[in-house]
Amino acid sequence: MPKAAQLTFIVPAIILFIFLFAVMPVLLHTDPVSGSFQLSWKAAAGTFTGYFSGIENGESFRFYAGENEYSFWEWIGPFFLNSFYYVSAAGIAGTAIGIFAGIYFAVSKAGWMKGIVDFIGSLPDFVVVLLLQFGIVLIARETGVVLFEVATLNSDEPAVMLPLIAMIIIPANYMIRNVAMQMSLTLKEDYIGNAKARGLGRMYIIFFHALPNVLPYIKGDLHKLMGIIMGNLFIVEYLFNNNGISMLIFTNAFSGHGYQYDIVVNGLLAFLVLYGIGYAIIRAFLFALGKVFLR
Amino acid sequence: MNKTLIAGLLLTGVMILVALIGPLFAPYELDDQVKIEYIVDENGEGYVIAPPVAPSAKYPLGTDQNGYDLLTKLLNGAKYSIFLSIGIALARVLIGGLIGMLLGYFSKESAQAKGGSSIWSVLNGIPIFLIVWLIMIGISINPHASAFEMSIILAAVLLIVGVPSVATTVKAKTMVIREKQFVTASQSLGASGWKIIRSHLFPQMKESFLILFVQEVILTLTLFGQLALFHIFVGGTTMYPDPTEYHSRSNEWAGLIGSGRMNFYVNTWIFYIPLAAYASLIIGFHLVSKGLEKRYGKMFAKYSHL
Repeated sequence: MPKAAQLTFIVPAIILFIFLFAVMPVLLHTDPVSGSFQLSWKAAAGTFTGYFSGIENGESFRFYAGENEYSFWEWIGPFFLNSFYYVSAAGIAGTAIGIFAGIYFAVSKAGWMKGIVDFIGSLPDFVVVLLLQFGIVLIARETGVVLFEVATLNSDEPAVMLPLIAMIIIPANYMIRNVAMQMSLTLKEDYIGNAKARGLGRMYIIFFHALPNVLPYIKGDLHKLMGIIMGNLFIVEYLFNNNGISMLIFTNAFSGHGYQYDIVVNGLLAFLVLYGIGYAIIRAFLFALGKVFLR
Repeated sequence: MNKTLIAGLLLTGVMILVALIGPLFAPYELDDQVKIEYIVDENGEGYVIAPPVAPSAKYPLGTDQNGYDLLTKLLNGAKYSIFLSIGIALARVLIGGLIGMLLGYFSKESAQAKGGSSIWSVLNGIPIFLIVWLIMIGISINPHASAFEMSIILAAVLLIVGVPSVATTVKAKTMVIREKQFVTASQSLGASGWKIIRSHLFPQMKESFLILFVQEVILTLTLFGQLALFHIFVGGTTMYPDPTEYHSRSNEWAGLIGSGRMNFYVNTWIFYIPLAAYASLIIGFHLVSKGLEKRYGKMFAKYSHL
């Protein structure tokens, strides 16, 4: 199948996927009185069709936060920008650090640094975030110096640095290991031995012979990287209490009026748009990098 | 055996032992609770004991906010963390591996086409815990079913969402081995597809399956943790309203992190002791996986030219 045809097929499929999975809490739930499981096909179908009939009169873009009703469009702007800022920073910084540190790791011994990267890589993302927060609290208690805000408790002092560090560390770590592996495989190829025999410099071989052959693998793995970044976004926003798209979904999914299908679907669709933008940004970055090192 | 593998096997071995016989050595019962007490010691000085009690001789790892001994909780919850994650990983590798080998052997595509990005890899971009959260959130809070039944339901969901990625990995590996000459030889001798998968493809991939299994254990444990942050605990969640509190019904380790998370400012041990237990479990499995890779990696190693 040509790529355009695949795209026209997969984008609606993913949107349908979002609509179907967001209806799960309505479909499958416990009975509030007896506590036994219930499957409510009718209610689920009603919620599903209710969204489309509500698009026209704007009902699908209103939601309750506590007792007050708000418009989705008024809220999404700043929340989206906040998430966008973290995703693009994580994408670009993560890829850049990943590629250059990965190359360094592939050609040098770097024993203890490899150990650290491996150790962080073995821990789940949320454990890394929790350890960062815990470390700051520990330092603050011992020395009285609060390096960074640990979480956003009020809107005047948002936590910025620590979430940013957490957002970058995890994709960068994945990228470093990936690039280092691909790089060391590429360096075993015969054309590298040939280039060496021709007397080319070490740096020249790495950047102009090996790197162009590693870049396609990085491109092929981009969706995995974006998956890590987006999954990480949920964890980071939630643990730092930062106002982004995922917090919009999680804090408003259940209100006093029960499960709010509309806000979950709208939030997830915004999430999908963010995914697309983030992917495009990393692709553009890799394209620019390719322009420098490909001849 | 290399050092990494030995260290990993020792660590996971100890953890499995804890899960098996740990509850027998628990210092308290699960429902023993520290009550608020006023005690006068021999010097005539009085002090108040109120939960949470910090780690001390009487309570080696302290108690949680409601006065339940943390060590007892950890020892009782270990079996859920360890055996459930191992069980899910095993089922994922068995089912996904079989599907992957069949797809890989019988598919019409050629192994050369890989490397370029398939549009289907977009599916990697959807965080798995989000899907599981949407499925489980309706039934996981204050359920009627027992903790064991809830664990089985969660395990089934995690199995279903995990099988495709295992199948894809195995399929890609199978397609590479399918091109080898001994497979062609066997085909021309008239062996059936099933026979080739059983006695040529599977023996070639035994090591990969073993590493894949350990990595799936780590992935499952990671998912337990991520779900626990969003109040989906293995074995179900007990929620108390006003003030809203979430408690793990099975005392599974990730669940204990999830319910003790807000304690990292003051009663830090409620937070970092389950976290340490959980992290060392993951590190143990990670060391096993690294050790296995090192052990098998030496077999076909080539040397770097630079």
